[in-house]
Amino acid sequence: MTPPLYIALRFLTHRKRALLLSLSGVICGVAFFICMQAQTQGFAKYFIDSSLGSNGALIVRSRFEPRQIDSIVPTKTSNTNVAHRQYFEGITNANEIMRVSRQFSNVVSCSPVLRGTLSARSGFENATVDLYGIDPALHLQTTDLAHQIAGGSLYDFRNKPDSVIVGSRLAESLHVEVGDTLQVLSPGGQYRRFAVAAMAKSGVGSIDSTRVYCHARVAQTLLHKPYAASLIIYKLRDPDRAPALAQHFENLFQHDAMSWQEREQSTLHLFLTLRLSAAITVSLVILLAGFGIFNVLTMTVLSKVKEIAILRSMGYRGRDISAIFLWQGGMIAAAGSVIGCGAGALLSWGMSKIPIHLRGLLSTDYFVVAWDWRHYLWAILLAVISVFIASYVPARRAAQLPPVATLRGSSV
Amino acid sequence: MNADVCLSCHDIERYLGEDESRVHALRGVSLDVEPGSVHAVVGPSGCGKSTLLYILGLLDHPDGGSVMLESEAVSHLPDDELARRRNEFIGFIFQFHFLMEDFTAQENVIIPMRRLGQLPEAAMRDRSAELLEAVGLSDKLERASRHLSGGEQQRVAIARALANEPRVILADEPTGNLDTKNSQRAFELLRSIVHQNQMALLLVTHNPAIANACDWIHEMQDGRIIASHAGGFG
Repeated sequence: MTPPLYIALRFLTHRKRALLLSLSGVICGVAFFICMQAQTQGFAKYFIDSSLGSNGALIVRSRFEPRQIDSIVPTKTSNTNVAHRQYFEGITNANEIMRVSRQFSNVVSCSPVLRGTLSARSGFENATVDLYGIDPALHLQTTDLAHQIAGGSLYDFRNKPDSVIVGSRLAESLHVEVGDTLQVLSPGGQYRRFAVAAMAKSGVGSIDSTRVYCHARVAQTLLHKPYAASLIIYKLRDPDRAPALAQHFENLFQHDAMSWQEREQSTLHLFLTLRLSAAITVSLVILLAGFGIFNVLTMTVLSKVKEIAILRSMGYRGRDISAIFLWQGGMIAAAGSVIGCGAGALLSWGMSKIPIHLRGLLSTDYFVVAWDWRHYLWAILLAVISVFIASYVPARRAAQLPPVATLRGSSV
Repeated sequence: MNADVCLSCHDIERYLGEDESRVHALRGVSLDVEPGSVHAVVGPSGCGKSTLLYILGLLDHPDGGSVMLESEAVSHLPDDELARRRNEFIGFIFQFHFLMEDFTAQENVIIPMRRLGQLPEAAMRDRSAELLEAVGLSDKLERASRHLSGGEQQRVAIARALANEPRVILADEPTGNLDTKNSQRAFELLRSIVHQNQMALLLVTHNPAIANACDWIHEMQDGRIIASHAGGFG
């Protein structure tokens, strides 16, 4: 143990009240930071997982062709030839695209979907629904639909072509339950009756309140589409690489491709803003703890002027004196971070047990928390930086105190 | 220059204060201190005794002149080097003991040894116990220094000054805060240790009895040494 560390330890343990005050500030700051980050990221991660589980990490949509437009009168600010795309509805060669894309190492599975917007009715209730015509086997491989079933039987859906899976919140608004009949209005103006085989709950409000799954062939008949798929959804091994793969697929297949990051951009920005806002708010707690430590250490320096002079007379250097106070800050930061991390984990666990009836952007019955070691790292880093800055000024002041004035018995 | 001199100063000048309150505290002070000798610096308050002591102890810088520690000029050395010399060569004793209140008697004695860093923890404990035993405090090693009497605290301060076996001990009115009996006892203790270990002792005192018991007496007035002579019992 170095002499400054030894002396710092003794100084600290003899000022228990001040030590506890400083320590509790750091503990609270670190714990609150971890808990807030766990919550905000928890909800963001829940949304992303739900979105990926329902809509895939990447989707390939309409075919396009590059179109060159020749401007007759060139403007000053534009090129003579402006590239545009001409889109063609639907995917006519879905099987071929899926066969090729399965060769990519990042692709786990893919599933064609025929999508359309229709009106549905049950009793006196009407709703606009987002119809997903799916191949059950492929869709279950590609999405988390199997885990999202909140009632009914997936087996019934797979074996009965005239059955549907209804989003949980849509079922609530239409007052339908498993076994009931749902009438879907085709573009030709005729109602077709479906048995509700199951209900799905993804956790994302916009999906659960509009989506209806039916068999792809039935959807094609109902929607009167000449093609069997309007989009292909992909499950990827590494969803973070979806944007690059989307770009590659666009070039390769000449079909519009969109990554989940692009698809959920606005919501992800919202979560990011919330996380940053929470982080800034809670960082203020750590900053306040830093001010507390600054005060405590400044008071310690003032009360230890005599001891500092004694140490200097015994051959302790200015930087030794400085180190004594920096060590005190360091020990508060270390102990505060360790206990704060424990308290943060406990607080996060406690939060995850608090019931909450959330039915908006997300549907959840409990606070969602994310367990991420980076929250702890950031909290420790913030605490260490804050405490270091708070300790530095008093430490510097202590090192610069002239010992002679004190030893003479005069005031400094 | 006398090769036996362990601490000396030549033509020391020192000004204290700023502008109008500026005082010429030391005016060309020269002094030689030999190993095994005890020197007293006497004079009225404000004559520059303590200022001289702190300059000789490398705690303060002179405005002119030089300080030599074992024939080496040290006044110009950087702060870290001066701190190292203080730790290795000089032991301080102050009027008000200036012990670390929260530390035990033994911990106080160990503090300079920790900075020197030449002994392991167990050896430092053994040596501090020996030193405290030598000053008659072997039964109070673990007692917090604030719970010791004035005389006991001064003896701890003496033990602490001896911790790193310094060549020179500088004492600023070491008995100024003690009663006559304790003053005499503390001084006798110091003198015997200094003679025994061939150290040098320079003390500032107002006590004529103690001054007379020293080998040399230096009389100061208005920042100058006006007379140096052998002590009454020397």
